[in-house]
Amino acid sequence: MTPAVIAQIEPIATPEIEWFAVSPLLVLVGGALVLLTAAALARSRPPRGFYALFTVVTAALAVACSALLWQRVTDPGRGPFTAIGGAITIDGFSVFFAVTITAAIALGALLADDYLRREGLDGPELYVLMLLSGTGGVVMAMANDLIVVFLGLETLSIALYVMAGLHLRRLESQESAIKYFVLGSFSSAFLLYGIALVYGATGSTNFGAIAGFLSGNVLASNGLLLAGFALLLVGLGFKVAAVPFHVWTPDVYQGAPTPVTAFMASASKAAGFAALLRVFVSTFDVYRLDWRPLMWGLAVLSLLVGSFLAVVQSDVKRMLAYSSISHAGFILVGAEAASDRGIAGALFYLLAYTFMVVGSFGVATLVGGRGDADHGLSAYRGLSRRRPLLALAFTVLLLAQAGVPLTSGFLAKFYVIGAAVEADSYALALIAMLSAVVAAFVYLRITVAMYMGDETEGAEAVTRPAVRVPPGAALALGVAVAFTIVVGILPSPVVDFARDAVPVLLSAP
Amino acid sequence: MAAQNLVFAVLAVVAVLAALRVVTTRNVVHAALYLVAVLGSVGALYVLLAAEFLAAVQVLIYIGAIVVLFLFGIMLTRPTLGRESGLDNDQRWLAGITGLFLFGVLSYVLVEAFGDERLPRLEGLDREALTAERGTGAVGDAIFSTYLVPFEVVSVLLLAALVGAIVLARRE
Repeated sequence: MTPAVIAQIEPIATPEIEWFAVSPLLVLVGGALVLLTAAALARSRPPRGFYALFTVVTAALAVACSALLWQRVTDPGRGPFTAIGGAITIDGFSVFFAVTITAAIALGALLADDYLRREGLDGPELYVLMLLSGTGGVVMAMANDLIVVFLGLETLSIALYVMAGLHLRRLESQESAIKYFVLGSFSSAFLLYGIALVYGATGSTNFGAIAGFLSGNVLASNGLLLAGFALLLVGLGFKVAAVPFHVWTPDVYQGAPTPVTAFMASASKAAGFAALLRVFVSTFDVYRLDWRPLMWGLAVLSLLVGSFLAVVQSDVKRMLAYSSISHAGFILVGAEAASDRGIAGALFYLLAYTFMVVGSFGVATLVGGRGDADHGLSAYRGLSRRRPLLALAFTVLLLAQAGVPLTSGFLAKFYVIGAAVEADSYALALIAMLSAVVAAFVYLRITVAMYMGDETEGAEAVTRPAVRVPPGAALALGVAVAFTIVVGILPSPVVDFARDAVPVLLSAP
Repeated sequence: MAAQNLVFAVLAVVAVLAALRVVTTRNVVHAALYLVAVLGSVGALYVLLAAEFLAAVQVLIYIGAIVVLFLFGIMLTRPTLGRESGLDNDQRWLAGITGLFLFGVLSYVLVEAFGDERLPRLEGLDREALTAERGTGAVGDAIFSTYLVPFEVVSVLLLAALVGAIVLARRE
């Protein structure tokens, strides 16, 4: 083409890029790229713990960017806004999840540090994948468009599939990766089909446009839309491990390397709920009469199945997996209330849960020992005598999960059940309280084994190697326990954080 | 119009015959190659509908990526290549019924939705305006404006997949 012809071509009207708005994402992706490149180019092995330290620093930078964004969105003069052609929303909600998911990355990296050396898997890959996976999660939380939600979910999931199978010599790890991959792809297809149907019914994939269409028009036949709701709920329900889309959870949580399980249970669930809350409670608000019964059913099933099946497990990782299912039920109780108070309760629950679950799987990482295989209840017998501090930390985390007062777990349950009562879902609130009682049995069972169990029971217990507590994992556990107790006693900063983080619906400018 | 109808007829016959051969041939490699013919004919139909971009994507993704993946899969897992007898199983009738059912549903939807409508005659239309609105250029515009964020997120997704593939394929 001659220059004259080129000059005639109209330039594409690219949207303005608000770099500041996506700064947490840029930091996470940038950190992953730098780590990958540096590790590939380095001649010699980096000093011990360098990869984990780099990941933690990257996560801290992302939190700093989120803090600046938080200042901007809570400033009454400026407030929430959409960025880059209306594809993403920056409001308190997205910043809240950016902080939650980044915290999960930092804690997961601290746990992984010693684990990878212990298992002879040391390298930058897990950290790179964790950062990329977290990026996908933050994209889901910031999304203002169903397509962006889907792509964020895929980024999150693909990295997780590989992370689950990272332990190449453990057959369970490979099995869990395959299982997660096959079922995860299946659920992605459901989500995508749901997106297509919602697009067909409303003519847009943008949340602001969908909500505007739904509130401005009465559909003569809304079968397409309702089918879309159902399929979206299947896809997202899989990600948050809600019953009946939970069957993968125990096997995958048990098989995956334990630090990966910690990350999976926290970040992946948080991202799934970010999408669920924004899509249903915020965007489909007009149709709450249609989706609330579905959410009710999911919540009840998750609460009951999670609590009751946790009781009959003998493997601690599986117990924690089922208990994470029942936690999903509690968060769904907040979502089912379909009110600002319900969302704030769900958000508080998610943040508290993130620290509790990472801490709990962190203890399992240490007790599991070389080979990541020692997860039976017998491994915990007499832990209080061998490792009193570790046993104490685990006890605090377990009691918090059970919902004992003076821990963050109690307040989390209190807020979601309070929101359910306020929304007149008395039956649901009652079922939630009952299942909390049932689940408490599981946590007490582990605690009793740690304190009352006799170490010399059974012949193999004698030969059990000592549990090592490396500094990185100790730091992660310390942070998790400290957060759980401090928030349990002084909840108001986190409560305010969650209350200001209720999602805002914005249309593209 | 007659030329277009003729080309359509040829492409449609090729696509249907090749599709039948995909499921009836006794050689897996041949089945994959017949699939190339099916997908290629569909791509050519897109050209006929003036959707050049879709046609190029069809060739790149379905023939370039997916069928090549099939062929790799076949060659890496089968000890011998050639005619085989055990390719069918008892579910062929079930599969046939499912296929016919899908055909029925799709036909019903098409007739129900567009039964009386006729395609606008091309002579009366402003071709340039139509291309600007729906052509390849419009797709490019959309990718770099409305769908800029999804486009960039896809690159992160591919990076994650790339790192993952290397991690899983590497044996110490």
